[in-house]
Amino acid sequence: MPALQKIYVILGKQDKEQLERLCRMLSSLFSYVNWTFNLYLVTEGLPQGMPQVERIQKDVSSFLRGNLFARLYVHFIHPVPHAAMKEIDFYFQYYYQSLKRATHEFDREGYMHQEVPRLMLLPVIVPDNQVERTSLIALLDVLKSAFLLPSLYLDTGSVFLTKDEEILAKTEKVYYGYGNSRGMADIICNLYRQDIVHDSSAKLESDAAFMTDPCPSALIISAQDGMVYACIDAFLKKQGLANINDNLSVENLMSRYYEHGKSKRDCLGCRERVVDCFSDFPLPNAAAHEVGALLYHFGTLSQEAGNHVRAINSFSKSLRLSHIEEYASIYFRLGLSHTRTGHYDQALEAFNRAEPTYYDQDYFYFYTGLCYFEKGDYRMALERFSKAVRLNPRQEDLTRILIYMGTCHNSLDEYKEALVQLEKAKETAGHVKEVYSVLGFSYFQLKDYDKAIENLSRAVEIAPGSAIDYASLGSNYREKGDINMAIAMYEKALTLDPNITSARENLEKLK
Amino acid sequence: MNVLLIEINPFAPASPPISLGYIASFLKSKGFTVKILTLGEDTSISRAGLYRLISSFKPALVGLSAYQRTMLYVIGLSNLIKSVDNNIKIAIGGPQATFMPSTAFAELPDIDYICRSSGEVTLLRIARAIENGTPFSDLLGVTYKDTHGAVYDTGELEGFTDLDRYPSPYLDGVFDYSSMREAIMLTSRGCPHHCIYCYTPSAFKHRVSFHSIDRVMEEIKWIREKGVRRLWFADPNISFKPSRSIELLDRILTEDLDVEIWLQTRADLVSAALMKKMKRAGVTTIAFGLESASKRVLSRLGKHISAEKVAEAIRLAQSQDIEVELFTMFGLPYEKFEDSVETLEFVKKNKVKIMGNTNSQQMQIYFGAPMARDYKEYNIRPLNNNRPAYISIGSQYETEHMSHQEIHKMQDLWRANSLDGGKRVVS
Repeated sequence: MPALQKIYVILGKQDKEQLERLCRMLSSLFSYVNWTFNLYLVTEGLPQGMPQVERIQKDVSSFLRGNLFARLYVHFIHPVPHAAMKEIDFYFQYYYQSLKRATHEFDREGYMHQEVPRLMLLPVIVPDNQVERTSLIALLDVLKSAFLLPSLYLDTGSVFLTKDEEILAKTEKVYYGYGNSRGMADIICNLYRQDIVHDSSAKLESDAAFMTDPCPSALIISAQDGMVYACIDAFLKKQGLANINDNLSVENLMSRYYEHGKSKRDCLGCRERVVDCFSDFPLPNAAAHEVGALLYHFGTLSQEAGNHVRAINSFSKSLRLSHIEEYASIYFRLGLSHTRTGHYDQALEAFNRAEPTYYDQDYFYFYTGLCYFEKGDYRMALERFSKAVRLNPRQEDLTRILIYMGTCHNSLDEYKEALVQLEKAKETAGHVKEVYSVLGFSYFQLKDYDKAIENLSRAVEIAPGSAIDYASLGSNYREKGDINMAIAMYEKALTLDPNITSARENLEKLK
Repeated sequence: MNVLLIEINPFAPASPPISLGYIASFLKSKGFTVKILTLGEDTSISRAGLYRLISSFKPALVGLSAYQRTMLYVIGLSNLIKSVDNNIKIAIGGPQATFMPSTAFAELPDIDYICRSSGEVTLLRIARAIENGTPFSDLLGVTYKDTHGAVYDTGELEGFTDLDRYPSPYLDGVFDYSSMREAIMLTSRGCPHHCIYCYTPSAFKHRVSFHSIDRVMEEIKWIREKGVRRLWFADPNISFKPSRSIELLDRILTEDLDVEIWLQTRADLVSAALMKKMKRAGVTTIAFGLESASKRVLSRLGKHISAEKVAEAIRLAQSQDIEVELFTMFGLPYEKFEDSVETLEFVKKNKVKIMGNTNSQQMQIYFGAPMARDYKEYNIRPLNNNRPAYISIGSQYETEHMSHQEIHKMQDLWRANSLDGGKRVVS
């Protein structure tokens, strides 16, 4: 059974009974938390939240005293209004200092054992949009000097602070608030989302196949209504596991939690939605690159699943966020999906941007050639396909390219040139039906009906269900004057596919 | 009888604990049922999970590896184990335990044995005593605390000098290969040198013992069959016997084993020919111990090596395109701040990337190192004399020549020059 890595708590109003119920549940849950564990406590503000945090911290300390192998990081997330930030000394002495005092025994213990203290208090400040730089820096300094390593939660209104290097240097971590709401539930969601982004990045780095796994074990508890949720998806869907007001035992709660863990869920889809949330947020470079890499990965998954519209969406967003070194592969993938959706101009534009990196790859020239082919620009298509051939593609790719080249020449009425390419294809892949179909067409145009019939017969031998090749055979026999065979071939074609209009018309004329 | 062995490293991802693997294999060969629990920073385990594991496995003996930085965890886990069943006996072993003062028992209420000698034979003796129902009889190689709380030191117990007499943890299937990223190899044990800051030579009485090359090859082939390609040789000096290391590399080459190797050795034990062979055999990274680039400091560490020799070894490795890691320390005896800066400059000048193991660290004074015993002679001034008896001076000291603040300043300087934030892999 996986241990709980994190518990996110939305603190409620100052309701003593409710707080005691929450503390009882948390204390019981500590037996199920990982030996290194993070507790996030979100409150509307210090005056309301601090007494609750202090009460919870007592239980945390008690647990740690009894379990020396455990390590707990308590993240205390709270807004600091612009006005309050100006009274730093008061704030520090009245709120933070008393909180810090309760951790001194763990600081001493850490010092004695030459180790980082097992209880770390990590305030996360949610500054408002009116924040003054100097006040914020002063607050960060005060907290850091007391070994209360501060982090910041920044939403779209305050994310400009990430451009301030001095503020960043004094900040342990920055959390990003997608959206523009600073409500407690939004904050919890964004903290959780950010953890999912980091977890997904780690999986992408080690083995992307694990991306379908659930996110790290966590619970969300809302002390406001007592509901406990098994993950962010359940929280957003309001699908609670239990209510702490129902006197449910922790064993029962955890048993429900593990049941939820075993249930069939779309964790990959949830990860994708979470990552997508940050795609429009003005993230600083490092965070943006992380999200960009993930969007690219999800784009490739969509592409492989054949969902090219979704893939284009992911790749386009990834381009805005990724590191410049990643552009070429994103553009190439984007080009592929545009090709698949029939947007050949966009595809070529994307491919062109990828060319400096892919200039020595045969498949690159094949796909660009394909775009020109589909656009009807056979001359350009031939130029691209020729480049692909010069780069020694794999045999099956070579055959495909040669068939396209033959088709291009046919379309340009260059039937002899077509034969050159198609005969080469026949040499490399005598089992591919398309080679003979296109050869049949070329020979027909050159009025070499025997050769055409020879090749088309081979085509229907390989693919006896190919109606169009029977129809072509019919036309060749007709031109040769063998009307009976022509009729037989047209009839065979129509038996296989009654919708071949040309065969029907030709048959009627012959009859 | 069941024996549980626990390796704790909360500061790095879990990796196969080679020493516990040897003990597990040895005890298994003597009829015991052994389980290894590795707790790394990526291990997911709760108090309830630990409780469940101990309740279901029902070990009669638990062995915990002890390091300076994990003592709190050792104490905490011991307490939990005893809360499951007070009859379970608990032994600690490893670098922190070998020379830990016996007085430490006063602050280790749940520990029954401190292992002083070779892990395999010492733990076997304890296990047999427990199995016989006389857990404190006929013991050697340990200090123990009996049921009345009285502490006894026993005589020494010699391990095998022919390491092949220990069954292989790899061939015995002690480790789980499915999650193994790299295999840690230990083809030899011990060190003959007299470096004043190091515990290893004292622990092995300045002797080196070896596995045969046949045995090492058998293990490597087995590991490769299991799909693990990266080998991490933990031998303190793998090229101590040059002919042996050449034979090992030749065999790897002859058998065409596609491996990627990390190893460490002394800079005066390598040559151009050996380095060339290493490269061909798959050595991608080699680590040397420099400690200090200051001639005045280095000459007093008992290491008997020169910075010039290390520079030469670096060049030999770099010419073969082998990545070099350099172990260095600051806060050494006789070292002034300028000396430690000289070490940093040496690393930069020789184009060794400051990352991973090349991130320097403050010298740690552990039990068993000559300096721990005679720290005053080396002008070491401990900063905290009230530490628990199971904790050594470690990093809480300053020297006659470097204040606590200067040591911190040096640490910051290294971090500022680091490419990865300054986290060292091997401590």
